[in-house]
This record gives sequence, structure tokens and C-alpha cells, in this order.
Amino acid sequence: MAYLTQYQYYANDGASPEDANWGSYQYTSLADIVNNFMLIYAGNNELVNNINRYQVLFYAKRAVQELNYDAFKEIKALELSVDDQLRFVLPSDYVNWVRVSMYSNGVIFPLTENIQLNTARAYLQDASGRILFDEAGNILQPEFSNLDWARITGQQKSIYLNENNPMFDGQEGWSYDGAWFFEYGIGARYGLNTETANANPTFRIDKKAGVINFSSGMQNRLCLLEYVTDGMEGGDASMISVNKLFEEYVYAYIKYSILSNKLGTQEYIVNRSRKEKTALWRNAKIRMSNIHPGRLLMNMRGQDKWLK
Amino acid sequence: MINSVRNTVLSVINKNNYGYISPSDFNLFAKQAQLDIFEDYFYKINYQVNKENARQSGTGLSDIRKQYDEVVSTFSSTAALVNAGTNSYTLPADYYLLNVVQYNTTGSEIEKIAESKIRNLTASTLMAPTTAFPLYVHRGNAIDVYPTTIIGASDVNAFYIRHPLDPKWTYFTLADGAPVFDETAADYQDFELPMSDEPTLVAKILEYAGISIREGDVYTFGNTEEQQETVSEK
Repeated sequence: MAYLTQYQYYANDGASPEDANWGSYQYTSLADIVNNFMLIYAGNNELVNNINRYQVLFYAKRAVQELNYDAFKEIKALELSVDDQLRFVLPSDYVNWVRVSMYSNGVIFPLTENIQLNTARAYLQDASGRILFDEAGNILQPEFSNLDWARITGQQKSIYLNENNPMFDGQEGWSYDGAWFFEYGIGARYGLNTETANANPTFRIDKKAGVINFSSGMQNRLCLLEYVTDGMEGGDASMISVNKLFEEYVYAYIKYSILSNKLGTQEYIVNRSRKEKTALWRNAKIRMSNIHPGRLLMNMRGQDKWLK
Repeated sequence: MINSVRNTVLSVINKNNYGYISPSDFNLFAKQAQLDIFEDYFYKINYQVNKENARQSGTGLSDIRKQYDEVVSTFSSTAALVNAGTNSYTLPADYYLLNVVQYNTTGSEIEKIAESKIRNLTASTLMAPTTAFPLYVHRGNAIDVYPTTIIGASDVNAFYIRHPLDPKWTYFTLADGAPVFDETAADYQDFELPMSDEPTLVAKILEYAGISIREGDVYTFGNTEEQQETVSEK
């Protein structure tokens, strides 16, 4: 694939969208990686031979996935309003979360993950506790469990220092703009559990259900989800790419994966390729950490500040 | 080259004027001999690759594999495959070996896949065929291309090795009935192999001719010559 001209890069050849190629030089496409591997690393006189392209494609994609989980600092963010049932549906390319925040009045409030259960299924039972079934033998289930219903309706008590914490019950306070404020307690508050010392709403991710369940304070509020994906771009192979800092690692990963699975490959060759892969991984991670003097400078500026 | 081969064959088998083979017999033997040698090239290339991997071959003029590759390349051909309905494309009638099949829209190579693999591949999330990485399965005289969205009339090109054309020693007949070589005939076809293969062609045709005229010496001579030729080329 030829390099882009300046006009293609900045203006996408006059086509829409104009920004289609901005920053593209940082990346190598999956097609390029597979093509280069087949050309350079696979062949009659190479360590890897008699290999199908689809096998190289598989290992290349696996390398991209692994890099997305552990090494790329490519965090995606999605803003959605939390619905009446206090849910935020996970994005289609979601693999793991980095941070969940509430966006309110121009401020980003990082939220705390609830260490307690906040959602459960339930079965309908009769008065004697027996589970009820329909005619087809399926268990009857209510729309919400008591736990869910209490959370959705704001009746669930919280161990966090937010408005649902029973600690504030009976205390005088002020309601302002939908939030309650209380007097700061006089004297030290001994025994504070720092793990739950957060006044913001809480959340818990239900991976199987594909939703984030929030405490009642998040109803109809904006939520920002920062998450990592696997880089598969919704299955569109033409859109998959790898940062060039990892390109050599991807080749080493493919080579190692093929050799380690190939019958009769000498162990010293497998080991050599494994070491090569690991060394390149470390190298690429250091590159990606991007330690700049300019960044350190800003962090180090506070080193001589006196703590009172 | 075909006339030279025929003259050599006739002069070897000629004994007391009874070792004659007719032009039609010669053409049959010539076709078989050419096909034998043509097929041998692929095995010879493989042999040379193994020698390369064992660091037993040279470069430049001593790069034997390159010479064999050149011979096979003279049989390479290109054709736009005809769509035979949905994602099926008919192969050219003269193809011997499919080298590369190309999806023209993206320029991607369409990779050959065994029938036993295609179901797993289409069901796979990571390896399902796409227009960027298409696949094909060879079925009869056609190939089925995947993804099945590739259905265009001019979507697929094949770069293949074709069968060598059948050699034909053409002639006109004199008044006494003797055939005289005529390379101006419309159906004249010389051997398509390089000149360096002439001794092997002669040897192989002699083998067939020896069997034909029930002359064991001729067969043995042709067979020995061929083996010596093979040994010297290794």
C-alpha cells in the first residue's frame, strides 16, 4: 500500500469525511501485516512454511486483541444517559472497563464500584416457598427482584456516604438542586471505612447481562464510560490496525505461535522465537509508556512543596 | 524442435528399415513425453527447494530452481473467470494448476481452502472470509468464492499454469507416400519445452516407441538415457 499524499492525509482527497486519514501514519493495517508476514517470514526458505493465510490472519488478530487488552493505551469513551431502570448498556465493542464517571454541571465525578451486590434474578414462589412454573415447565420470574426494585426506586440503603446511606437518616440537611447537603460532623469521625467513603452514586457491572447497574442517584444522569476494546472494529478487517511501535512484536507473535504449534519444530527454534517475542513486547511497552522529560517535569514540580 | 526430435528418434530405432513409426504414432508419443517432462518440473522444483534449505545449491547461474521456475513460467496464463451463478466461477479448460486467484475489486488474493475447512472458517469470528481476505473452494471444474457476496461477472481473475499444447508433427505426402515435414500447416505445433529438454524428449519417445515395436533394446536405451539425464541434473 502506497504512502498517502499530503492532500490525501489532510483533506481525504476532497472526499468526506475530511478527517478519515488524520493520524493514520501511526498505524499499520491488518492487511499490511498479514501481507508482509506472508512475504517475508513465510516461504520455502524460511522457518515458517506451508502455512495458510487464514492461520496468519488468526494469529495477527489474536496479537491485536492481546495488545488491546494489555499494552495499547487506547481507551475509548462513551457518554450515555442512564435510563429509568438505572442501566447503562455496555458498548458493542466493550471488553473491559477503565473508569466510570458521572458528568454533571460540567464536572466529571469518578464513580466507585459497589462492592455489594446490586442486582439479582428472582423466581416467583407460592406462599409455601415453592417455585412456580408455567405450562411449558419454565420458571416464572418477576420483572424485577426485590433487590432491583429497591435500588430502582431509591429505597435500597447504601454503605457509601451518599444520600441513601442511613447515616443521614433523621439528620437535618438542605436540599439544593436535587442533592442533599448536611452539616459536617463536629469532631473526628472514627471508624470511617475508607473503601466506602465516597458520596457519589455507585455502580456494578453485570457482564453477562451487558449492563452497568447504578445506584438510584444516577437516574437520568449522564454517565461517561471509559473502556478498552479488542480492536476488532466490529469484524471489519479492513479497519483493524496496529500502532507501528508494536508492528515487529506482532510479526514475532505470529511467528512464535505458528512455530510452537507446528509438529516437529525443534525446541530451540521455538524458544528463540519465544524470547524474541517477549523481548519485543517489553521493548514496545517501554516505547508506549512514552516517558517524556516534559511530562515528568510537570509531575516533579510539586516535589519541593511543603506539606503543612 | 519437433522435427529434430523425430529425426533423432527415427535414426535411433531404424534397423534394417523396419524401425519406423508413423507420424500419428509419433504425435501420440510426443504428447505423452512432453506431459511427463512437464509434470516432472514441479517435482524437480520441490527437490531443488529442499536442496536450497539444506544449503546445497548455489546462486546466479547455478541457481537451478530459478531455471526450472522459468520453464514453468512459460506456461503461466491469466484469465477472467466466468461467473457460473452466485459465487461460483468456472475454471479455464486448459488449466493444469491454479497459481493465484484474485478478487479484482480489492486486488486481494483469494486463498484456496480445503472443503473440510470452509465450514469452520465461515463459522469463525476471527477467520471468516471477508472481501479483504477472501477464500475459495475447488469443486469440479469451478471454484466457489467466499464471502458469498463476491458474485460479480468480472470479480475474479485466475493466474494459472496451463497444460502444454499437444505437439503435432505436420507433413505433406510425396508421390511415393513418404511424409515430409511441413511447419506451415495450420495445425502445426512444436514442443513447448525448452531446447535443453530435447535429449529427454528423445529418450522418452524412444521408450514408447520401443514398447510399440516390441524392441526391448530401444526401450532399455531410452530408459537408461533418461535416468542418466535425471541424475546429471541433480
